[in-house]
Amino acid sequence: MSDWHTPGGQLDPLKVRAAYPILSTTPGGRPLHYLDSAATAQRPKAVVDAVSNFLLTANANPHRGAYTLGGDATAAYEGARARTAAFLGVPAEELVMLGSATEALNLVARSWGRANLSRGDVVLVTEAEHHANLIPWQQVTREVDADLEFIPVDDVTGEILWDRLEGLLKLRPKIVAVGHVSNVLGSAAPLAQIAPQIHAAGGLLAVDGCQAVANMPVNIPDTGADFYAFSAHKMGALFSGGGLWARAHLLNGMNPIETGGDMIREVRLRDATFAEGTQKFEAGTPDASGTVALAAACDFIDDLGREQIHAHEVRMLERVLRELPEALPDARILGPRDAKDRIGLVSFSSDLVHAHDLATILDRRGVAIRAGHHCAMPLHEQLELSATARVSVAPYTTDEDLDALFDGLRDARKIFAR
Amino acid sequence: MGGMDDLYREQILEHHRTPHNFGQLAEPTISVDGRNPSCGDLITMQLQLDAEGLITDVAFSGRGCAISQASASLLTDELRGKRAEEITALGSPYVMELLGVEVGPSRIHCALLGLETTQKALATWRNRS
Repeated sequence: MSDWHTPGGQLDPLKVRAAYPILSTTPGGRPLHYLDSAATAQRPKAVVDAVSNFLLTANANPHRGAYTLGGDATAAYEGARARTAAFLGVPAEELVMLGSATEALNLVARSWGRANLSRGDVVLVTEAEHHANLIPWQQVTREVDADLEFIPVDDVTGEILWDRLEGLLKLRPKIVAVGHVSNVLGSAAPLAQIAPQIHAAGGLLAVDGCQAVANMPVNIPDTGADFYAFSAHKMGALFSGGGLWARAHLLNGMNPIETGGDMIREVRLRDATFAEGTQKFEAGTPDASGTVALAAACDFIDDLGREQIHAHEVRMLERVLRELPEALPDARILGPRDAKDRIGLVSFSSDLVHAHDLATILDRRGVAIRAGHHCAMPLHEQLELSATARVSVAPYTTDEDLDALFDGLRDARKIFAR
Repeated sequence: MGGMDDLYREQILEHHRTPHNFGQLAEPTISVDGRNPSCGDLITMQLQLDAEGLITDVAFSGRGCAISQASASLLTDELRGKRAEEITALGSPYVMELLGVEVGPSRIHCALLGLETTQKALATWRNRS
């Protein structure tokens, strides 16, 4: 094993931390305990170095320059696309590089949706979706007068009731859009099980993979998805960047949403024909540096080992689930009871301490958690909560981070119980 | 550290635990909801005004963090007998004075929710009359 593991082959978070300069900083004069990686992951130095190396040695506009440097930039961009595609187990020709996962999900809804949905058609999503996998479907179903239906959640735990899917498939949805991992519940959708059911009912499966790709091994073909969207910054790459995978025949049947340079075959004054494949959806100068960063993030994640990352995060989450009720006895934990059924995060609420107060009190110990509705307002409404606190872990999360978390939770309890 | 202890000092916690003027007015002149879209805090502010724009009674309800609920509670104690124009002129320094503590940028929107909802209510009332 490499520099990042114990002799036994487990991830050693203390070694991993050294790869992330920001984790040694002291914002506000306090050591940083970053437990908000589900919002955005911290960046390893290797990613930042890859970007600066590209910008300082290979920077030119890809797909255009007839000169050597232009060729270098094109090779770097397309090489980074290929690396990312290999990371996800898909052909590079089917991986569209975009600005964000939000853009990717909007592309599916607005391009595939407008071309394939009409009055009375059904689109099915879960009640737990992130707004980015909900609002685009609200918009397009309203536009074409299609129906938006929902896979419900349990009112207490928030868990998605997948056993309701079979009945809902009688509505013959044209597409079912679900998160691979819920960004509030931390539970993974049983994609391999539901994909054949959805396909047998004549529908397609669109997956929002934002919370999955950095925290567990993801080989897209194994999921059975027809569309798979993901975000670069949740993998430790740059804020700009995300991608959409879809099979070539689906991409070929879709119209671009954005038009402009680099996505054309021929342009006349009154009309234009478009490029084939992924290029059709990548109007304008591509984000070469962001894609180079993404490839470097894939390299780094593979260096750590996706199985090892997942195993480490499960160990951290086991501790959170075990000790959270001791530190804050009235905590209502959403999602699966067993850490093994979770990917990367735990959300909870407390009647004693509101999530925002908790986040402010934890900040005193340098503990950074997320408080709010996590862009899943309908799920919170369903659970009759206005906000939850979310703790998310990463390969660099240590027991010291969790010690500080529990100390902070006890502080909060002391302040509010007095 | 001191700032934090101030933020959650006894007066604020007391207003959070037992907010003043919490509930509904029988016949409010105006009732307006205010919400922080980023965090879900919710406040309903009800005012009774006379024809001259003098606030004669007030009640609020809502849910949210201690800072949003306590600042709304503290504010309602000050509203009776004030004129609409006086409230419209107030800003964050006034709310911080009420709270007796500086609220940082990450939580200032919580502290201001009560005042902003009151101002929204007064603007709605003015447009109506």
